[in-house]
Amino acid sequence: MPLLSDFHNHSCLSPCGSLEMSPRLLASTAAARGVRLLALTDHNSSLNCPAFDSACKAAGIIPLFGMEACTLEEVHVLCLFGHLDAAMAFSEAWNRLLPVIPNVPAKMGDQVYVDEEDTIIGEVEYYLGVGADLGLDGIGTYVHGFGGLVIPAHVDRAAFSMTSQLGFIMKGPWAALECVRIPPATDTLGYPLTTSSDAHHPEHIARRPFLLETESDELLPNGPDSASGIDMKALAAALKRRPRG
Amino acid sequence: MTIREMAQELGCELVQGVFEDIELTGGYTSDLLSDVMAHARAGEALITIQAHKNTVAVASLANLPVIVACNSRPIPPDMIEAAQDEGIAILRTKETQYQVSGRLFALFAASADRAI
Repeated sequence: MPLLSDFHNHSCLSPCGSLEMSPRLLASTAAARGVRLLALTDHNSSLNCPAFDSACKAAGIIPLFGMEACTLEEVHVLCLFGHLDAAMAFSEAWNRLLPVIPNVPAKMGDQVYVDEEDTIIGEVEYYLGVGADLGLDGIGTYVHGFGGLVIPAHVDRAAFSMTSQLGFIMKGPWAALECVRIPPATDTLGYPLTTSSDAHHPEHIARRPFLLETESDELLPNGPDSASGIDMKALAAALKRRPRG
Repeated sequence: MTIREMAQELGCELVQGVFEDIELTGGYTSDLLSDVMAHARAGEALITIQAHKNTVAVASLANLPVIVACNSRPIPPDMIEAAQDEGIAILRTKETQYQVSGRLFALFAASADRAI
């Protein structure tokens, strides 16, 4: 059976995300709505991924970890990892590439991370909605170095996308392209396409999932409780089977 | 020069008119919002083609009281709504960022003493 998947979701760590969007609420709601492979992708940070890992285990779904990185061109790119440690290492490295602009929670929103019981354990004091000092030409190699894969986000949207920032889809080592709608109105150069909820509020959870032609034992060859996480080669192979534009 | 005076001088369409008509200190032209956050100064007009809700958030963070959307960019309703909440004016013009910047620079010439 194909896996209902959703690779683009925010939590209370994203300044534009709802404060009630704890990783636990995201995972339990997505699971209740039928999603079986779920990613947490806050803006430029993975600090809520440890709580998300526990929440997905409790909800009985497969977690993917990472972030929605913002490049130098202010293009949003999903960076996804099959293992929590890889995502956390990437997040730490990526954050050294961000300009340090103090966040003003009253204006831009809260940026808090929580434990598995939704208790706030910290707050990011610099604004996460910024572009890093690394461009689209470098992000693929950079993420691959941490064992992740890269999916440019909402390529057919009018803000923070390849279309809005460049005016075209740039070739690169993309595992797929995320679209708001399939078929997209833009030329996607034959890349496999996904949709994603881009949930910032509870009512957005699982609004635009997609089907991934794979099985959970293909993604988790060592079993669901294995510490090795998702086999990213198997995930990349499954994404290649997605419809293309 | 206040926001309304600037709108008149530039012949801009006033898309969002709920704001305090304060004195402007200058302008900042950029289509990269991270750059705006890092370098624009409070009281400046933001000249850009980035016509979406996030532009309002950045203008709010940087205390920029007016956004001038160039090239006749469509202004989405959620952007107007956010700007109303923040009291940030939105002007729209068919001119380019270059044309608007040039005209504003001349208008501000007397006070254009920003350090380089």
